Amino acid sequence: MNVLYATLGFLGVYAYVSFASLLWGGLDRKLVARMQRRMGPPLLQPFYDFLKLVSKESIIPRDANRFFEIAPVLALATSIALLAYTPLGFEPLFGTKGDVILFIYLLTLIGFLRVLGAVSSGSPYAQIGAQREMIILVSREGPMMLALFTILWRLNELGVTKPFSMGTFYEHNVWELGTPLSLIGTFILLLVFMTWLASEIEVGYFDIPEAETELAEGTMAEYSGRHLALFELANAIKAFVSASLVVAIFFPWGISGYLGLSGISGITVDLLFHTLKVFAVLFVSMSVFRAVTGRLRINQAVGLFWTRLLPAAIVGALLLAIDTLGVIA
Amino acid sequence: MNGKLEYWVKIPIGPIHPALEEPEKFIITLDGERIINVDVKLGYNLRGLEWISMRRNYIQILYLAERICGICSFSHNHTYSRAVEEMAGIEVPERAEYIRVIIGELERIHSHLLNLGVVGHAIGYDTVLHLSWLARERVMDILEAIGGNRVNYSINTIGGVRRDLEEKHVRAILDMIEYYRNEVMPKIEEIFLYDPTVEARLRDAGVIPKRIAIEYSAQGPTARGSGVKKDVRYNEKLSVYPDLGVKPITPKEFTGVVKGDVFDRMVVRVGELWQSLELIERALDQMPEGKIKAVPKDNALLFQLKKAEGEGIGRYEAPRGELIHYVMGQKGKDIPARWKMREPTFPNLFAIARALVGEQVADVPVAIASIDPCLSCTDRVAVIDANTGRKKVLTERDLLRLSIEKTRELNPNVRAKPEVVGVGCPRGGVL
Repeated sequence: MNVLYATLGFLGVYAYVSFASLLWGGLDRKLVARMQRRMGPPLLQPFYDFLKLVSKESIIPRDANRFFEIAPVLALATSIALLAYTPLGFEPLFGTKGDVILFIYLLTLIGFLRVLGAVSSGSPYAQIGAQREMIILVSREGPMMLALFTILWRLNELGVTKPFSMGTFYEHNVWELGTPLSLIGTFILLLVFMTWLASEIEVGYFDIPEAETELAEGTMAEYSGRHLALFELANAIKAFVSASLVVAIFFPWGISGYLGLSGISGITVDLLFHTLKVFAVLFVSMSVFRAVTGRLRINQAVGLFWTRLLPAAIVGALLLAIDTLGVIA
Repeated sequence: MNGKLEYWVKIPIGPIHPALEEPEKFIITLDGERIINVDVKLGYNLRGLEWISMRRNYIQILYLAERICGICSFSHNHTYSRAVEEMAGIEVPERAEYIRVIIGELERIHSHLLNLGVVGHAIGYDTVLHLSWLARERVMDILEAIGGNRVNYSINTIGGVRRDLEEKHVRAILDMIEYYRNEVMPKIEEIFLYDPTVEARLRDAGVIPKRIAIEYSAQGPTARGSGVKKDVRYNEKLSVYPDLGVKPITPKEFTGVVKGDVFDRMVVRVGELWQSLELIERALDQMPEGKIKAVPKDNALLFQLKKAEGEGIGRYEAPRGELIHYVMGQKGKDIPARWKMREPTFPNLFAIARALVGEQVADVPVAIASIDPCLSCTDRVAVIDANTGRKKVLTERDLLRLSIEKTRELNPNVRAKPEVVGVGCPRGGVL
């Protein structure tokens, strides 16, 4: 019976996140359009796009192999599976100890499946896009994982029920550490995470694999119709989920406690509040970032990750850990 | 080209590609992200303009010339007019020359603002695109107020201009200059001289060294960005420009260094925006009263041109570089025997193709956008395709024979017998 409820809840979460993430797509386009003094498309444009794409014929290139058709399905499946381990204002539905590792694995898998689909399409544009995506993928995960595991390890010291799980963030949060050094470290790590988020959803500086004007949508060059729709949805969910991670780490507070709600209504309120926080994080990391920057070259972006972000992550991690390590009193 | 190539891939940029505004084709050979060879193919925008012109009279060609290109619609019919005026020996009234300067500089402003936006778009910086095109609307409004159209303002006629500048136009232009000086230019300078993203992407991308710029005969901002002081308005003492104190703009005056990269070309464009504003202001100050047409009536003008004979060459510094029109008149007919133009994009395109070798594929769109290519002007020569779809490469000798035959067919009056000179076109093999 418990499994049944969990499954039903999971389906509900999937439907809700699909809606919210596509809605954010519309909000983002509208907000950026206003920043650029344009009218922008209607708020529900991503929904129209999605429905239109689903109803369109999907053209398969002659040189494509089987993975070309399988990759989008797998990508969407992965993004749905990801939702089971995503903190959404409450502990993940299927959360256990160590689920953070599974979360990162699944998140990276979506990028990998995009690469797989692109390589299978046989298009030179997609090929270059895939190379770029792979290089970015390798570069961006290092600083993020270092930061994430340091925070989790540090929070474990405070005593949690499930070590290295997403649930950790709802028992203790990183601001509770309280020492001045850890506060500075947290701010540095917040910066690292915001940059990582921008590169994960590939906007602004990091719009490199899809580079519209260079590679004609790069990895997505050959996709059309239903297959493109699946990728679009998977990408939208991925953006929401990645932002959820940042929200869970740095802004995990719920409001159901203050309102005195519990049970289903409490969860619903927390979910809505979490969605608002996700939109706020995405606004900074996606809309504003997209409006005030252009695309970097691939070597500049990789350089940014290894020479700026990784040292920043190391410094932040050290600042967080330093009082536990007992180097200084 | 040096070292062994492990793996290379050829990617076509074009004929249809989001980085390009008009159809052209760059076949780029890549080793990873590094470009090892660039091959340019033209001819996707051929409309047979020179052929059309063979059944139009001098006045009608004015409007055809205007429609060669949507951006430099003024430059083309201005240059054509100059060529015909030189051929027929028509003196242009001074006020008309001043009006031509004003409209030409207004066109330069709108063309450069357009290009700044396109370069922003090429590096994915869409905010630059939208805001600079928003600023461009103001000058488009002025051009519409003067000429009646946003794009084809048909100001020129042979021996003068068709519309006079009235008091309200002058006021509107002065307002516009204020607006650009105070609101637009500081922002444009901030973006194109100091923005870190723009600097990271445009610095050291698509470098055309001074030597290459001279050898490939690059024109306009492309040449001036490489430090070649070349500006027809200055070098040739064109019309009233010397009185207005025009000078070729090089990036040295702004940044102190000349590297010949995309950044420098954009700096030149920003400098020319300032210069154009100044030139318009001075021209409005110094503009004398008087008539605006040498020959007031079009039929009288045509009658005069019918009697004219000989050749005329018009030169003008279009926003993209030096534009040359050549007109050959024939006695007793109001149709020119030959009308030929050389656009700045043609030499610039090969200079930039040369400059791209060794750069990254990410630099291709921005480097191409930085010369502001205008393919609808450039494409007037077709490579002949057989009906079977087989591409036939013609040598210079074949082309010459074919063109002589064609000329005889179209115009039996031409008696000249040209011969092959030189070693032939160096690009004949790849076309």
